[in-house]
Amino acid sequence: MTQDRASDIAPSTRLYERIRLDSLTGLLPLVLLLSVWQLIGDPESPFFPAPSSWWPALFTLGQGDKIIPAILDTVRTFGLGLLGATILGVALGLSIGVSRTFGRAVGPTFEFARALPPAAIVPVATLLLGFDETMKIVVVVLAALWPILLNTSSGVQELNPVLLDTARSLRLSTTRTLFGVLLPSVMPAIVLGVRVATPIALVITLLVEYLTAVNGVGALVGEAQRTFQPARVYALIAIAGLLSLVVNSGVRFVENAVQRRRVGDQ
Amino acid sequence: MLVLVAIAGIWEVLVRFSIADVQFLPAPSEIAAAAQGEIFGGELVGRLIHTVGVTALGWGIASVIGVGLGLLLGLSPTAYRYSMTSFEVTRAIPPITFVPAALLIFGFSLKMELVLVIYGGIWPVLINTIGGVRSIAPELRDVGTMLRLSTPETIRKIVLPAAMPSVVVGLRLGLSLCLVLAVVAEMVGNPEGLGNGLIRARQALQPALMFVYVIAAGLLGVALNAGLRATARAFLPGNALKDVFAS
Amino acid sequence: MAEYECLNLRAEVGSRRGAKRLVLDGVSFEVGAGEFVSIMGRSGVGKTTLLRVLAGLHEPSADSPTSDCMVRFSDEAVAGPPEGVSLVFQDYTSSLLPWRSVARNVELPLEGRLSKADRQVRVTEALEMVGLADRHDAQPFELSGGMQQRVQLARALASRPAALLMDEPFGALDALTKADLEDQLLEIFTATGTTVVFVTHDIEEAVYLSDRVLVLDGSPAKIVAEIPVESPRPRTQMHTRESPEFLRARHRVHEVIFGTE
Ligand SMILES: Nc1ncnc2c1ncn2[C@@H]1O[C@H](COP(=O)(O)OP(=O)(O)OP(=O)(O)O)[C@@H](O)[C@H]1O
Ligand SMILES: [Mg+2]
Repeated sequence: MTQDRASDIAPSTRLYERIRLDSLTGLLPLVLLLSVWQLIGDPESPFFPAPSSWWPALFTLGQGDKIIPAILDTVRTFGLGLLGATILGVALGLSIGVSRTFGRAVGPTFEFARALPPAAIVPVATLLLGFDETMKIVVVVLAALWPILLNTSSGVQELNPVLLDTARSLRLSTTRTLFGVLLPSVMPAIVLGVRVATPIALVITLLVEYLTAVNGVGALVGEAQRTFQPARVYALIAIAGLLSLVVNSGVRFVENAVQRRRVGDQ
Repeated sequence: MLVLVAIAGIWEVLVRFSIADVQFLPAPSEIAAAAQGEIFGGELVGRLIHTVGVTALGWGIASVIGVGLGLLLGLSPTAYRYSMTSFEVTRAIPPITFVPAALLIFGFSLKMELVLVIYGGIWPVLINTIGGVRSIAPELRDVGTMLRLSTPETIRKIVLPAAMPSVVVGLRLGLSLCLVLAVVAEMVGNPEGLGNGLIRARQALQPALMFVYVIAAGLLGVALNAGLRATARAFLPGNALKDVFAS
Repeated sequence: MAEYECLNLRAEVGSRRGAKRLVLDGVSFEVGAGEFVSIMGRSGVGKTTLLRVLAGLHEPSADSPTSDCMVRFSDEAVAGPPEGVSLVFQDYTSSLLPWRSVARNVELPLEGRLSKADRQVRVTEALEMVGLADRHDAQPFELSGGMQQRVQLARALASRPAALLMDEPFGALDALTKADLEDQLLEIFTATGTTVVFVTHDIEEAVYLSDRVLVLDGSPAKIVAEIPVESPRPRTQMHTRESPEFLRARHRVHEVIFGTE
């Protein structure tokens, strides 16, 4: 039997390596597409400039030094927006999960707010708050809030009632119950909500930047489009894609770490 | 519902008596008046029909492509192995950034709006279909093999129904995304629909009218979601529905 | 007359490109038409793998082109699920279609083969055999585990198979339900004359049901013993389990599996 185990471990490590290799073979169509594009694409094309012309287009006309600050701007708005969405989402989610009355009271309002296309908020936000950083963060928070809120509240509702009874029978204070019992037990649900909210927050950041032309990668893409620089548009799209890959794998890493810690706990 | 009314009431009082003097914030009564004008004498209905039409059409096309491609990638390990990473990488690019590219390629047109809506709507359907198909219990696949079902029969009788809850999640996410992209496209590109109405009201500095369009867009979102839910209820067994609309 | 013939069967498991593990090597046996044969062995020895090979769901692997590895069902080599063989899976929760009613689950193997009216007749017949005629329109999730397993059995019987393969079908059920279903299976076995290959962990169950018990052991596994059970049929829980034939066969199986103490 023990011998069985040992031989079972070897294939599973190899399975891991195979997955990595599989990921590379999966890139084939994309590489093929870009190669064909490169071969038949004209660098001057107004629609599909060849990929090799993208990178240089970032630096033409002395626009090179705009890139890094734009990325930093986007990351900051995204980060603060996600942070705000997390704090607000967890607070509201816990309240809804704990109090049915509160949940019923705000239900229809939230249903409406959630279904509101975030783009529609932007003109209102600019009108009321002006064209600045606060406005951008408010819009991101309003759009990225929902998955966190919903996951938190359903996490609380699915909690084993014995847990709260235990806290009560131990006569824990409300604060202790909240931070010692409730929050840790819904942590995985919250983290899941944050993971779902991450791409939304990034997309909405880029959207607000694009629509309002207030700083960031989104604003740069808009500018490139309005000045008819297709190669620059594609280059910035690629940068946005990279940014999104980095951000999403970062969040997944945190999620895995949280889950591992919980497994370790038990 | 009561809470909504209460919020509107407080808002009205605050604005009316200039307690909260936020510039450009219209009182609910002004919004209501603007809504009445826009519905009966204005462009709201026509714009609404345009946005609903493009969203629904784009979503329909996106769903067919997404489910078809998802079935292929979910069922064929070879197809999965030789393309999944490409899809993952492409999917990571926020669809919003394609708006400028679409504008350059298609100009300010309906085509541009439709292409964007379809492109954005494909992803959730595709990803959820692949996930649904690949997580079908192996026993269930064996049942199909044991009964010597043909491939189309297996897809129709086993794979699709088993993956349906996950597919519906994708359809629902896709629908919201299609609406968002339609509104964005209308705001910056195709000069029609609710998005354009919103921008026009913004430019004309008519805040009350702007709120009318925001509310219309929100209600449209709620209505589309409710419609999908009702349709799904007709096709899914009761116990599967809970998961689908949980998040 | 042999229904199933298995000669020097080799089978590997593991994914197509990953590390493979030789699970079965040199497995040879025959199952006669109308015979009830049980296959026993410790967990992980390869019983499910063997049954899947018989069902045509798992391809045996020949080590060389000249190998004499062979699996035949009614004189034809098994390649893919053969006509006339039904399989009852161990896990009923994931092998019933949860979106279909009981009757529609049982109807599944008949679709496209029989007319609507004929299908109704067969479905009713199969559900009656397992004692579920009154739960026709129920959804699977409304039924208890034992009932769900009976639906699976009815689905397997609906196509009137020549051979029925069963993988620990009663393993997850409580003792009373299990005894009940064993008797029901024996009744069906006698009434239909179906050949049955039955995988189980439970020595008592194997001996009670079977004409012969085959024991798989080793790594890779082969058949290490074959114990005939001479208790006369029809068998009943009380009398058969106390009969000397039953006790003798049970003793032999114990000996083979746990060794003599
Ligand atoms: N898909 C698979 N990949 C790798 N190894 C597998 C796979 N399926 C089965 N095995 C291995 O093959 C061996 C035989 O498995 P099998 O399921 O046939 O055993 P079993 O006798 O039916 O066990 P049990 O009584 O627990 O059902 C086991 O050691 C198992 O670890
Ligand atoms: Mg098994």
